[in-house]
Amino acid sequence: MATNPMNQFEVYRIGPEIKLGAIDISFTNASLFMVISSLAILLVFNLGSKKNSLLPSKMQLLSELSYTFVSKMISDTAGSKAKPYFAFIFSIFMFVLFCNMFGMIPYAFTVTSHIIVTFILASFIFVGVTIIGFMKHGLGYLKLFVPSGVPAVLLPLIVVIEIISYLSRPVSLSVRLFANMMAGHTMMKVFGGFVISLGIVGGWLPLSFSVALTGLEILVAFLQAYVFAILTCIYLNDALNLHH
Amino acid sequence: MPKDSLKTRLEIAKTKHSKKNLYKNEEAPSSIGTAFKLSTELVSAVAVGTIIGFILDNTFGTKPWLILIFFFVGVVAGIINVFRSAKNMQK
Repeated sequence: MATNPMNQFEVYRIGPEIKLGAIDISFTNASLFMVISSLAILLVFNLGSKKNSLLPSKMQLLSELSYTFVSKMISDTAGSKAKPYFAFIFSIFMFVLFCNMFGMIPYAFTVTSHIIVTFILASFIFVGVTIIGFMKHGLGYLKLFVPSGVPAVLLPLIVVIEIISYLSRPVSLSVRLFANMMAGHTMMKVFGGFVISLGIVGGWLPLSFSVALTGLEILVAFLQAYVFAILTCIYLNDALNLHH
Repeated sequence: MPKDSLKTRLEIAKTKHSKKNLYKNEEAPSSIGTAFKLSTELVSAVAVGTIIGFILDNTFGTKPWLILIFFFVGVVAGIINVFRSAKNMQK
């Protein structure tokens, strides 16, 4: 039994070592859980959309509910112009949600508790949204960095500030998800360790904390997936409807 | 009679549904979430500013100066970020 609360975040290789030049692309436990969550998403939505009955089964209800949830979220935050990007945002929301939720199973690995995973996700969103912005508005997209009504003297400073603020988006997006997941899982492990070390006499208090924390973590797992998706919508909205 | 009861039940369900949706739209995600959102907004802009300053310093060889300037520019950008997202939340 690992007592170090950070042990759960260790990435190790499963199966043979695969090398692509100097890059190690071996299959790890992180990749395993990404594959598991993707397959779970496919399974749920395949089963859910197989039989289109008027009285929905549980699977159908689940997939229809998540569809309307994301679709409403997009139309509320980014408007009707964002409809073509539904599939992208839906996949991101579902992937993050399933990764977070699979991390809640004991002994499972939480993919989103690693900054590199969330940062790659966020940078893909960032690059994609920037490309969409330039495709829709051409060079006019650069107006995003020039707020209206700024005196010409201050303009160089403001532009630099706006660019930094724009570049900080993927960082804040990824750090938020990663820090929430990592902090929560570490805390659960620490309280679990207290239960062991205090034994049968004093262990009840941390045990009850552990139970409460598990509930809180499930909430956080959902909330962070929601926040990740809704911020993607907000960035998309900035790119589609240019009014800063 | 049963038709009526179904109608009233439908009516109740409809109002509940719309009310719930209204509630969902107005409700902030949760206070700990908003607090965390604002803090990461501030920190990430400072980090990005500092990293840009560091890179520019290394390319131009102006060791301590650009990192200092861009650190403070990053702080300003972070504060603007926090202001914007706080404004968005109030909408």
